[in-house]
Amino acid sequence: MAEFTAAVYQNEFLPDGGTDVNAIVTLSCVGAGTAGQTGGGAAGEVIIVDISGSMGTATMNAAKAAAQAALAEIVDGTWFAVIAGSDRAYLAYPTVTSGPGMVAMSGSARKAASSAIEAFRSSGGTAIGTWLDLAVTLFGSVPEVTQRHAILLTDGENREQPGALDAAIARATGVFQCDARGAGTDWQVEEIRRIAQALLGTVDIIGSPAQMRAQFQDMMRSAMARGVADAQLRVWSPQGAQVLFVRQVSPTVEDLTARRTPLNALTGAYPTGAWGDESRDYHVAVRLPAKAIGQEQLAARVQIALGDSVAAQGLVKATWSNDSDLTAKIDEQVAHYTGQTELASMIQEGLAAKAVGDEATATTKLGRAVQLAAETGNEEATAKLRKVVDVTDEHEGTVRLRKTVDKADEMALDTASTKTTRVKK
Amino acid sequence: MTDPAHDAGAPDLHAPDVHAPAALTACPSCGEPLPVGAKFCEACGASLGGADSAPAEPEPGSVADEAAPIDLASGPVSRLTRAGDGAPAAAGPQPCSQCSGVVGADGYCETCGSKALSERDHFRQQPVAWLAGVCDKGVVHHRNEDAMAMSASPDPTAPDRRAVLVVLDGVSNTDDSCLGSLAGARACLPVLAAGFPQGVGTPASRMGAVAQVFARAALVANTQVVAATTPGTTRPASATFTAVVLEGRTLVHANIGDSRCYWLPDAGAGVQLTVDDSAAQAQIVAGVPRATAESSPQAHAITAWLGADSPSIEPTVGRLDITGAGWLLAVSDGLWNYASEPAQLATRIAAAGTIEPAALALALVQFANAQGGRDNITAVVARVADLGAGHNAPTAPAEPGESHG
Repeated sequence: MAEFTAAVYQNEFLPDGGTDVNAIVTLSCVGAGTAGQTGGGAAGEVIIVDISGSMGTATMNAAKAAAQAALAEIVDGTWFAVIAGSDRAYLAYPTVTSGPGMVAMSGSARKAASSAIEAFRSSGGTAIGTWLDLAVTLFGSVPEVTQRHAILLTDGENREQPGALDAAIARATGVFQCDARGAGTDWQVEEIRRIAQALLGTVDIIGSPAQMRAQFQDMMRSAMARGVADAQLRVWSPQGAQVLFVRQVSPTVEDLTARRTPLNALTGAYPTGAWGDESRDYHVAVRLPAKAIGQEQLAARVQIALGDSVAAQGLVKATWSNDSDLTAKIDEQVAHYTGQTELASMIQEGLAAKAVGDEATATTKLGRAVQLAAETGNEEATAKLRKVVDVTDEHEGTVRLRKTVDKADEMALDTASTKTTRVKK
Repeated sequence: MTDPAHDAGAPDLHAPDVHAPAALTACPSCGEPLPVGAKFCEACGASLGGADSAPAEPEPGSVADEAAPIDLASGPVSRLTRAGDGAPAAAGPQPCSQCSGVVGADGYCETCGSKALSERDHFRQQPVAWLAGVCDKGVVHHRNEDAMAMSASPDPTAPDRRAVLVVLDGVSNTDDSCLGSLAGARACLPVLAAGFPQGVGTPASRMGAVAQVFARAALVANTQVVAATTPGTTRPASATFTAVVLEGRTLVHANIGDSRCYWLPDAGAGVQLTVDDSAAQAQIVAGVPRATAESSPQAHAITAWLGADSPSIEPTVGRLDITGAGWLLAVSDGLWNYASEPAQLATRIAAAGTIEPAALALALVQFANAQGGRDNITAVVARVADLGAGHNAPTAPAEPGESHG
């Protein structure tokens, strides 16, 4: 039985007239169990592999081996299907044209699916929207599957009509979660990140075909370890208050503010997807009407709910004080994640400016990113940044754009931009 | 970016507020799941009993340990159909003190988020229908050092009616005052509730005997305040002492410090019965206008108090014969700071628009909180009925005057 706990990190003291309360709420889950095995409904996995003409022989062969490795990780009894994607989506396995489009995993099903994958031949274009739509249809054909997850591999830019992909993402949002991977350097980070963010998944680059198999194994292994099918983050704020933002800040930065659905007049619900044994940090900011010195009140109840029941709750408080020793301090966790959130936007904005040839903006933003990565101890970001810029002064954030940059390094910096580190204890 | 994250100055600010997952049980009334330790169901409001919601033990010696009988002939105050036992703990869920919303199991209002006050920070008493009090932390102070105690006979129209109103205001720059003031208020109540010596000697000697009762009450209260003091402290627990007893048609009052009693008749001008032992009062005596004196920086420095370091525990005692109906008040400076003159208090009473003592006491406390609530606030109020033209019960001496017991 999964158990959740909540811990709140904040400075609850506000100065006279102060209104904004910031807190980091760490939600942790233990005892999650295995996907589909905890009595809360069945789990389903869809493997989506790009078979467009741009997939060269080496990439195609690696993708086949990776998809087969992923099959091996799917626990017997889990519902699954394999989609081959080009300028349309093909149901490669199971080979049905009506009825349930997924089958329960077994030794024979795994073998048959492996054979179907082995037969992939690359040809045609890239219409990722149609792949997502087929996955929606497949999940919809097996109602008992309540925990729905897909892994998606592509090597190229989407070639659909403008808006088609966004519409397909919207149809898939809330239906299934999706971890997305880009092979090589001909795909668009921004495009694939949009899919992964909307579908509560991860995004990463697979720089060389040799890494593909291990990445697919990892993705599927993690998916199978998420025994909590779906959990909802709930944020209660008092009457008259305004929730400024709700962000996941660890393991990655994901702004959830716009994904609020009202639960009642004072409580909003935000999707968090499936959970394994893990901890996630959320940054919640609430604006309150200022109260008199000495007043204490609750600024937010931050809860994690499974179905209708609240599994854990953290209390975010506000106390107005005229003691500036108390009110002036910014909580260490809040400061850390505020920096990490800015780091993610500086990297993304800097690379976007670089892509359109605005070197001045790119230099400023990536310089700030170098500074933030150093300040917040994000060594992975520092290492990745140093492959794109030459650092003159880390603490001042003075950098020069490197003359020659490996495209894969730049994309790796981009895909990893939202990854955060925790406060070092 | 500056980096306050690594400021090592306040590790306690980062201490996680850990909440373990709540094991749920269900409400016996409606089946709603409940967190462990819930005192009432948030869905249907059913009280879940348990030790926490049991009323505190009745105060010893109270003349009104039982609920007041409903007396339809006794005038408008008889509308109250249920009276408490005088204990601070009210059974069942208390709504939010700020917005009347439901208070959650986590101790905060589910509507406005205000922290629910503890039973020491905000308590109400109503031993009989015609006497009630509210004792409140106020806004600014972190704890409630005020205390009150009260008792009364059931029938406010009986010629031998009796009511006792006690207020102790713990001094906030000392330790343990919140414990001492409450223990003191409770301990002296039986002394005052016992009744005054009757029919002995001259009026002057009878008044002297009555004054000795108040002196004994102050001593008993003082013993409790001293007992609450942590040994060795340089700031011993301290409190004011103010009590007023209505016996028939006679009010006898006593005070040490600056908690006050007022008599505010429905017809005619009200009076402040007590005279503060304070720096402000000393200035007023010396000719400084009251408003100026009471707003001076040292206005709240009291010149007499209960406690181990008290210069004197002899209360100033006085009496007044009254006619007609009206309100008898015992209040702490947390209230009179915002309405010092009897006429100002009369205005607040008129604004409250109620003849229910419980509603009036609450309205006065809310008024002081709305003005800023800079101190703890206590209002004990008795609705004094008109006894008509009958003879006064033979109680206190007939001669007006003031005496030091």
